[in-house]
Amino acid sequence: MIKAESSGRAETVFVLLFMQSLFWLIAGISAIPFALTGEVFMGPLALVTMLFALLTCLVGIGVLWRRRWARGIAIAIEAVCLFGSAALLLLPLGFNRGPVSLMVNVLLPVAVLLLVRRSDAVSA
Amino acid sequence: MFDISPDHAIALYTGLLAVPPALFFVRRRRGRGDVPGTMLAASVLMAMAGAIHLGLVWTHLGEPITAALFVLNGVAYLVLSQIFTWRWWRLASSALITMTLLGYSGFIVLGFDSPDQVALATKLLELTTLGLVLVPVRGEPGRPRRAWRWSALGIAVPLLTLMTVSVVWIIDLARPDAQHVHAGAVLQQTNGTATPEQLAAAQRLYDETVAAIAPYRDWHVASAAGYRPGGPLDQPSTHWMNQRYAAYVMDAKHPQGLVYANTKHGPVLLGAMFQMQHLGQFGPDPGGPLTAWHQHQNICFTPFGAEFSLMTPTATCPIGAIDLSVPPMLHVWIVDNPSGKFAVDIDSKVVKQIDQG
Repeated sequence: MIKAESSGRAETVFVLLFMQSLFWLIAGISAIPFALTGEVFMGPLALVTMLFALLTCLVGIGVLWRRRWARGIAIAIEAVCLFGSAALLLLPLGFNRGPVSLMVNVLLPVAVLLLVRRSDAVSA
Repeated sequence: MFDISPDHAIALYTGLLAVPPALFFVRRRRGRGDVPGTMLAASVLMAMAGAIHLGLVWTHLGEPITAALFVLNGVAYLVLSQIFTWRWWRLASSALITMTLLGYSGFIVLGFDSPDQVALATKLLELTTLGLVLVPVRGEPGRPRRAWRWSALGIAVPLLTLMTVSVVWIIDLARPDAQHVHAGAVLQQTNGTATPEQLAAAQRLYDETVAAIAPYRDWHVASAAGYRPGGPLDQPSTHWMNQRYAAYVMDAKHPQGLVYANTKHGPVLLGAMFQMQHLGQFGPDPGGPLTAWHQHQNICFTPFGAEFSLMTPTATCPIGAIDLSVPPMLHVWIVDNPSGKFAVDIDSKVVKQIDQG
């Protein structure tokens, strides 16, 4: 049952997760040349990353269809992303702090979490 | 690509400053209750994109065509951000965003500009806006043309994203500036051509280092001195690091690292590596351009096999790898390296020859 049909909250989450899945896909594809030139572990990492991109896209579709499981997985994915980004931002490892990194690794997960936390986006 | 161009920095502020007025005008707009939230969000993001483009005009007054394009683009975004109840709003917005993305790609391919963080952030903002403009919302009033919009969203957004990111990345790698001639590394700023004094100083550093690390041709001696492999030994070469020497600064007798080729006869010494302790802290540069230090930055490192790849323009790494940067370093190659005695990398053919020899 949909309570707030035209709020667009679920659709906004879908767009953000779709964009995030594209970013993961690009990250996966980018590791392939390194795997082909001898960085053997980059091959499986590229595959896992592309599968994760697919999962993120499917979760986005699930949120669009107002599935409760999708909302739960979306929260889990974004919470892990946000925790990882926060840890890397705090550790002195030289994590990129540019606007793109902050948009993709902090702002996007925060936006998804804020949008899916409200139960009126998902109730089926 | 990972820097902010000085003449683009102001646009970040104008973009952020546009958010409060954009929210204010959206809230006051008559008919806003009749449209889905996705359109309102797209309206705010378009106002930001418009303000970013207009913010760039001031610093591009010396380039009249570019400045005029920024004005047109900025005004078009601002106007469209306010007329979201217009019948043809989606079509006009999609067309404007698509043309802007294609125009930007053409602009940097033709060499009129170099990609930077402000441009990339704006492109991601525009791509997200395009998604919000196109996505059909459940229960939307009127004739939403859902099939068309889903098709456009499913094709245009991924294609434009892949195209924009690929173009930016290819151009950044193909046309690096003087400081980014090595992918994943930034070089120390130096004078263009080495002076005779710098040539002599570089040769002195080279001779001192070659003499000082000669005992380490026997890796057992290096091991006894505290050097340990910093990565897998099944790679063509491995850096051996010595934490005891971390505090020394370009001391030929105490280099922070040694580089060994992993040959079938055992490790063969290729050279030494000096390294500073902190990011952005480039070391002394006696040879000017000959001994410029380099700092690896925005590389994706995975503990699995201690391997590397490059961070994407969208600031993501493969799962299992993290983005990091490494303090500046300077290599001194004691074998004949075609790229130079102090080159960032050892030529892979040299390592292969040593292995076969």
